[in-house]
Amino acid sequence: MKKKIRLFSVAAAFMGMVLLAGCNSGQEANGGENTERVAVVLKTLSSPYWKYVEAGAKAAGKELGIDVTVVGPNSESEVMQQVNMIEDQLSQSPGALVVSPTQPDTVVPVLEGANVPVLLIDTDADLKNKTSFIGTENYEAGYEGGKLLASMLQKGDKAAIVSGALGNTATDERVKGAKAALKEAGIEVVAEQPADSDKTKAMSVMENILQKNNDIKGVFAANDDMALGVLRAVEAKGLDVKVIGTDGTLEAVESILAGKLAGTIAQSPYDMGYEGVKNALAAIKGKKVEKRMKSPVEVITKENAQEKLEFLKKIVE
Amino acid sequence: MSQVAVQTKNEAVEKNRAFKRIISKFGPLIGLILLTAVLTILSPKFLTINNVMNIARQSSINALLAIGMLLPILTAGIDLSVGSLLALSIMMMGIVTVNMGMHPLLGILVCLSVGAAFGWLNGILLTKLRLPHPFISTLGTMNIARGIALIVTGAAPIAGFPYMIQFLGREFVGPIPVSFLLVIVVYVFFHIFLTRTQTGRYIYAIGGNPEAARLSGINIDRVLIIVYTISGFMAGLAGLVMVGRVNSAFPLAGLSYELDAIAAVIIGGASFLGGVGTVWGTLIGALIIAVLRNGLNLLNVSADFQMTVIGAVIIAAVFVDVLRQRKSKKA
Repeated sequence: MKKKIRLFSVAAAFMGMVLLAGCNSGQEANGGENTERVAVVLKTLSSPYWKYVEAGAKAAGKELGIDVTVVGPNSESEVMQQVNMIEDQLSQSPGALVVSPTQPDTVVPVLEGANVPVLLIDTDADLKNKTSFIGTENYEAGYEGGKLLASMLQKGDKAAIVSGALGNTATDERVKGAKAALKEAGIEVVAEQPADSDKTKAMSVMENILQKNNDIKGVFAANDDMALGVLRAVEAKGLDVKVIGTDGTLEAVESILAGKLAGTIAQSPYDMGYEGVKNALAAIKGKKVEKRMKSPVEVITKENAQEKLEFLKKIVE
Repeated sequence: MSQVAVQTKNEAVEKNRAFKRIISKFGPLIGLILLTAVLTILSPKFLTINNVMNIARQSSINALLAIGMLLPILTAGIDLSVGSLLALSIMMMGIVTVNMGMHPLLGILVCLSVGAAFGWLNGILLTKLRLPHPFISTLGTMNIARGIALIVTGAAPIAGFPYMIQFLGREFVGPIPVSFLLVIVVYVFFHIFLTRTQTGRYIYAIGGNPEAARLSGINIDRVLIIVYTISGFMAGLAGLVMVGRVNSAFPLAGLSYELDAIAAVIIGGASFLGGVGTVWGTLIGALIIAVLRNGLNLLNVSADFQMTVIGAVIIAAVFVDVLRQRKSKKA
């Protein structure tokens, strides 16, 4: 019996320790008592892209002297966990909420009930009470990508497009933009296939495309992971094909520096996080915030890749 | 030994047994209370009506899956397919009601029957095709159902469900979420089913001692098919609640939910060897997981750390159980 009591107390003590440890790690970001608090709920914190958003949000909090909490599920597939996290942040009555919805429709019911300003970043949702949406103009990003690819090819050359998952509005818009630019430049798009934003899938999709069209000179991929997958398929065949991606991830920029990937259209995840928090504070203070804010895109090629790489490395430190 | 000494010793043994019974019956509950106490001290927002209702709502989907999962585990089996069945059920409901514009009641019927039908299939695969273990049959249907859920709309989500479908997951009675009231009703029903009906007692018997169950003339196949059908049905019901919460259906819904459901059942004191486990223990198991997640969220603990904690709790809960059984065997 004594043993049992001891066991229970050990278990209880363990739980206590675990929770205290967790508590401490959570309080790091806490500023003073009376500062404004902005809660940021992202799609996940486990990929480089979202780390940049997190870094931007935290930097804004530091500069503006407000308390910023950034949370997100383990992966982008944990949709319900994100909804729960939004609920749990709302129950702590933050001054404002910044959200990047994984599945736009799923956050609408919980966010409609929010009685604080809600700002969306990266991905928009059909939410009546949103204060603002800050994100990349995906059509424009795709258009820039198409233009960049066309500038590396000759008029009349053949090109392929690798798109994201069906129904992914962000990648769909990019593909539309890229197609428009390629058409204007007189490049013929001979194949368009989805690879669900996944590197491995993009590789096999590209292998299939090359089976039929081995005279392709360029590829536009709707994100960088797919671009890198496409690149592998192209390299395996020993072909000279220009591949353009979208996002501007560290891996893509490194590949550009190594002379493999031809270029990418970089989004500004760091800025999205930063602007999200900054405008959330403005909304708390009752200032007018624009309903739609464009987050800039940047064309990355071998010329400016080194600079971008240093920036990316710096912000995640 | 004098008679008095024997008597006091017997009394001590009696007392010890009573203590053990209490621990074994209320162990998970004590854990939940301890956890609540610790979180109340750490976060001032934890024990507020608003947050308690959040927990009730957040626990309801897993609670519904877990009570379905309890049945296969009681028969020394497992159902890995429930997360995928949830996804397939709600996608089919979305197609029927949103895309085809049919009556919401028909959609609800489709949602529940898709779950039940696949559950029944799990039972048939196990008993008629004689696949060696439900781990295999349900692993198969887990992938089949997820695949179909992705195929039916080409992986696109479906949003904008009629109010009748959203009701369960969305509405409140006073401050109490309807989804949690549903959980209570379902759990009372399962308690009666498992303790007061013949089939319920057979389920325990099959898990406790399959050979004896067979010899006493129980139609094991029939009971197992019922068990897996119910588990599948509960996946459909949990899906209905989820759609109400988020007003949308998406093919990756319920990804790895089977593991949370199994964890709830095990933390609630059920044995993987079958025959041991209660309805109320399962509810407490589901609440412990929800309270942990919610509490760690309130403390802004990262999601990665939460996984670690929940893993540790599962091991700790089962370890306490193992120790208890070892001791009671000695006694």
